[in-house]
Amino acid sequence: MTTYDVELIDIVKDFESGGGRVRAVDKVSVQIADGEFFALLGPSGCGKTTTLRLIAGFEQPTAGKVLIRGIAMEGIPAYHRPVNTVFQDYALFPHMTVERNIMFGLQMEGVGKKEALKRAQEALEMVRLPDVGTRKPHQLSGGQRQRVALARALVKQPAVLLLDEPLGALDLKLRKNMQYELKALQRDVGITFIYVTHDQEEAITMADRIAVMNDGLMLQIGTPREIYEHPGTHFVADFIGETNFIPATLLERGADGIGSLRLTDDTVIQARLSHTLQRSSGSVTVAIRPERIGISSIHNALRGAADSGDVTMLDALLVDSQYIGTDTRYTVRIGDALNLVARVQNISERDSAALAIGEPVTVSWHRSSTTVLDR
Amino acid sequence: MAFRLRRLRENGSLLALPTVAWLVVFFVLPLAVVLVFSFMSRGRGGVAILPFTIEHYERTFGVFFIILRRSIGLAALTTVICLLLGYPLAFFISTRRRRVLRQIALFLVILPFWTNFLIRTYAWRILLGEEGTINGVLLSLGLIGEPLSLLNTQLAVVIGLIYGFLPFMVLPIYASVERFNFRYVDAAHDLGANDIRTFLRVVLPLTLPGVLAGCALVFIPSVGAFVTPDLLGGAKGLMIGNLINKQFGGSGNMPLGSALSIVMMAVVMLSLLVYIFANRREAGD
Repeated sequence: MTTYDVELIDIVKDFESGGGRVRAVDKVSVQIADGEFFALLGPSGCGKTTTLRLIAGFEQPTAGKVLIRGIAMEGIPAYHRPVNTVFQDYALFPHMTVERNIMFGLQMEGVGKKEALKRAQEALEMVRLPDVGTRKPHQLSGGQRQRVALARALVKQPAVLLLDEPLGALDLKLRKNMQYELKALQRDVGITFIYVTHDQEEAITMADRIAVMNDGLMLQIGTPREIYEHPGTHFVADFIGETNFIPATLLERGADGIGSLRLTDDTVIQARLSHTLQRSSGSVTVAIRPERIGISSIHNALRGAADSGDVTMLDALLVDSQYIGTDTRYTVRIGDALNLVARVQNISERDSAALAIGEPVTVSWHRSSTTVLDR
Repeated sequence: MAFRLRRLRENGSLLALPTVAWLVVFFVLPLAVVLVFSFMSRGRGGVAILPFTIEHYERTFGVFFIILRRSIGLAALTTVICLLLGYPLAFFISTRRRRVLRQIALFLVILPFWTNFLIRTYAWRILLGEEGTINGVLLSLGLIGEPLSLLNTQLAVVIGLIYGFLPFMVLPIYASVERFNFRYVDAAHDLGANDIRTFLRVVLPLTLPGVLAGCALVFIPSVGAFVTPDLLGGAKGLMIGNLINKQFGGSGNMPLGSALSIVMMAVVMLSLLVYIFANRREAGD
C-alpha cells in the first residue's frame, strides 16, 4: 500500500453561523504524493482555505480523516504537525526582527540560539535576502515579506508546506516572477507544496496537479492539462480559461466516447463525451475553447472533411472583432441566438485585419477539441 | 483662509499657548511653591517660615519611611492583582464574536463609575465591618465562630483599591487585545509553539502597550490614594496620601506635607519613566 504525504478521507467541515450551519467543506477526499506541487483552486468561499486549515490543524473536521505521512491527525494540535504554513498576509511577528521570526520555529524545537541563527541566515540566503536579518517586518517591501514568510516556514523542513494565496498581495509583475521562483524552489527542496489560489493561471503554471473546488465540493482533480482539456463539469470548464458553451441534445452515445448531438438549429454534429457525463440522452452542453475554433471567410472549402464527422463546420456571421496583440478575438453568431468566441493567433500583421465585421464566415473545430457535459 | 491655516500649521505652537499659560499659572508655579515650602521650617499654625532646612526630608525618609514603603507596596500589590484579574477579563471581553456582547461587558466594567467613589467606598465599610455582610454570611453558614476583623486592615485597603481601579486596567488591555491579530496565534502554533509559549512570546509582547498603560493607570492613583485608606485602612492602613492630607489641615505642617508630596511625586515620575522606557523598548527602533 502506498502512503501519501497528505491524504484526506471524506472530510466534512461545518461552521455555525447565526443559528444555522454552513458546510464549508463537503466530503472531500484526495491523496497528495510526496514532492508534489498540488494546487487547491476555486473562487473565494469555495472551501479551499478551510481545507488548508484542516490540514494545518487550525480547524478540526466535523467528519472524516486527515492523514499526514500515513498518520491520522485527529487530536494532534497544529504545533505538533509536520506541516508549516505561509499565510496570505504572511503573519510575520511584528515585534521580532526577521532573524528572530525565522529562528522562532527552530527554538520551539529546542534548537540552540547559535545554531538557529546560523540556519536562519541560510534560509534567508535561500530566498535571496541575505541582508535583511536584523530588520523588522514593517521595514520590508511586500515581496521581501513574502520571501521571509517562506524562509520562516521552510527552515523547519516540514513534510508539507501549506501556502494560502501567498502571492495574492503582490503586484502583477512581481507575482509572475515569484511564480517561477516558487516553482524552482519547490523543485530544489523537494518538499510537498499545497498551494491555495483563486488564480487559475497561477495554478496551471505552477502545479503538478490541481483540485478545483466550488461550494465545498472538490469537483475535479487532475493535471493542469487534464483540467484544461477535459473539464469534468460545466463549472470547471467555465472557471479554468475561457469556454464557449453550446446547448445541444444528445442523440446517441457512441462506444468510442463520441456522441452525436443536435444543435438548436437542427444541425447534427459529433463531439467527444466527458467521462463524467451522466446522461445518455437529452439536454447537454458542448464546451469548446475559443482558441480551438477556426474561422475563415472561405465557404465550403473543407466540407468534405466535415462530412466524415471529424470536423464540424458551421456557417456564421462575424459580429465583432477585437485586436489584442498576440491574438484577435472574434465573436461570431450562428443562427439567431448562439454567439461563440474564437481566438486566432496573429502570426503576421495581415492576419489581424483579414476579416471584416458583418461578413459571413465559416467556423470549424475538430471534435477532439470538444467536451460534452451535463447541462 | 487656506493660506492662514497653513501658516498656523507651521507655527502651531501658538495653538498651545492658552494651555501652556494655564499650566504655568496653576501647575508649575504652585509646584515651585510646594518645592520651596518643603525646604522651609514649620511656623505657628503649620505654615512655612524661614530658615531653610532639610528636616522634613529627613523625617520623610526617617519616621515616615514605613508609610512611604507601605504606600508603594500596597499600590504595587494592587497593580499586580488588577493585572492578574484584568488581563483575562479584558481578553475574554475582546474575543467575544458578537459586538453587542462586547459592548454590554464594557458597559458593566464602567458601570460602577455611575456612583460616587466615596459612596462606593463607604459601601465596602458595610460589607467588611464586624457586623457587616461578609461576616454575617460566614457566621450564619457556621464557617467562622466569631467575626473576622476585615475592616481597618491593609487587606481592606487593597480590596478597596482593586475595586476602585480595576476598570483602569481592563480598558487599555481591552483596546490592545482588540487590535491584536489572531493570525499571529495561528502562525506561532504553526511554528511549533504550544499555547503557553504562544502567549508568552507572541500574545503578551504584542499586547504589552495595554498592560503597561493599565499598570501606570492603576499604580499612580493607588500610590497617592487617601479616600480608600482613610475609610477602610484605619491606623494600620495609613498611606502617604492620608499623611499629606493631615499636614494641610488645622494644626498640620505644610512644609512636611510639601516634602511628602515632592517625594510621592518622585515615586510617580519614576514609575512613569519605567513605563516610557518599557514602551520604547517594546516599540523597538
